[in-house]
Amino acid sequence: MASEHTSCQSCGDSLISPLFCFSCNSLQTVSDDIDHFKVMGLPHCFEIDSAELENLYQRLTLEMHPDFFVEAPEKQKHLSEKSSVMLNAAYSTLREPSSRAKYLLPLLDREKSLETDALPERFLQEMFTFQESLDEMLESGDQSALCKMNEDLQNRHTFIESNYADLFKKFETSPENHEILQQLQTQLNAERYLRRLLDRINSE
Amino acid sequence: MAYSEKVIDHYNDPKNVGSLDKNDENTGTGLVGAPECGDVMKLQIQVNPDTNEIVDAKFKTFGCGSAIASSSLATEWVKGKSIDEAMSIKNTEIVEELSLPPVKIHCSVLAEDAIKAAISDYRKRSEG
Repeated sequence: MASEHTSCQSCGDSLISPLFCFSCNSLQTVSDDIDHFKVMGLPHCFEIDSAELENLYQRLTLEMHPDFFVEAPEKQKHLSEKSSVMLNAAYSTLREPSSRAKYLLPLLDREKSLETDALPERFLQEMFTFQESLDEMLESGDQSALCKMNEDLQNRHTFIESNYADLFKKFETSPENHEILQQLQTQLNAERYLRRLLDRINSE
Repeated sequence: MAYSEKVIDHYNDPKNVGSLDKNDENTGTGLVGAPECGDVMKLQIQVNPDTNEIVDAKFKTFGCGSAIASSSLATEWVKGKSIDEAMSIKNTEIVEELSLPPVKIHCSVLAEDAIKAAISDYRKRSEG
């Protein structure tokens, strides 16, 4: 059905999100398998307007939250619960650049050819060394060394995240070049290790 | 998530934590990681070149309790085995021994990969 997810099942108006019609205030019946981008009415594109995303999330929450459907018929109640779960999952995945990139990557990887464990050369060794030095710093309580390491890692993390947009854009203009997706995968893997270290520093 | 008793035992009292001299030609070092969760695991073996027996093993793992337990168990298991026997250790055996839940199976895979990486490093160095 061509109009599925794009026009309201009650009034026929066009929809911003397939979950809810703001024109006639009605919950929509949606299939379970629509992806997070579609839930927020977005194309499969890395760059999004964060303010717009948050705004839509809040508007939808205000309309669909299960608390407002306590007295409603069973079907409506169920729809509001299901849609709210989908909305929360979509929003929490898409708002952060790394989780958004990680989610988008397999959607674009049509050939399913990504080497998912790939890391930059010697990266693992470096991360291991960082973890060992962190052990020592935490044991000795060396605050200035901890601050320094935190700053270094933070810079590298920011640098990685700042590259996503360019790489995805590059892929959009040359979608036959799968090497770009692999680069993204490698960066995302590295991001995970860096964040793990940062979490460890900041939880102490 | 509840850890099994054996995982907790290994976590509280890990066996063979530490490191071996990686420049010693009779040692092999395997360093592996799981990008899924950011765990890093280093496993080292010391081999008797005359008998091909693994005489010592050490590990150091930065990761969750299951990853630590898996590598601790792996070092216990490889000690006293020949490198060929150690090569055939399967992650499923680790899963069974530690009663790892499905979400932690990748920790056992990591331990198996670490054993294999350490052995192949030893082979490369002893041949070269």
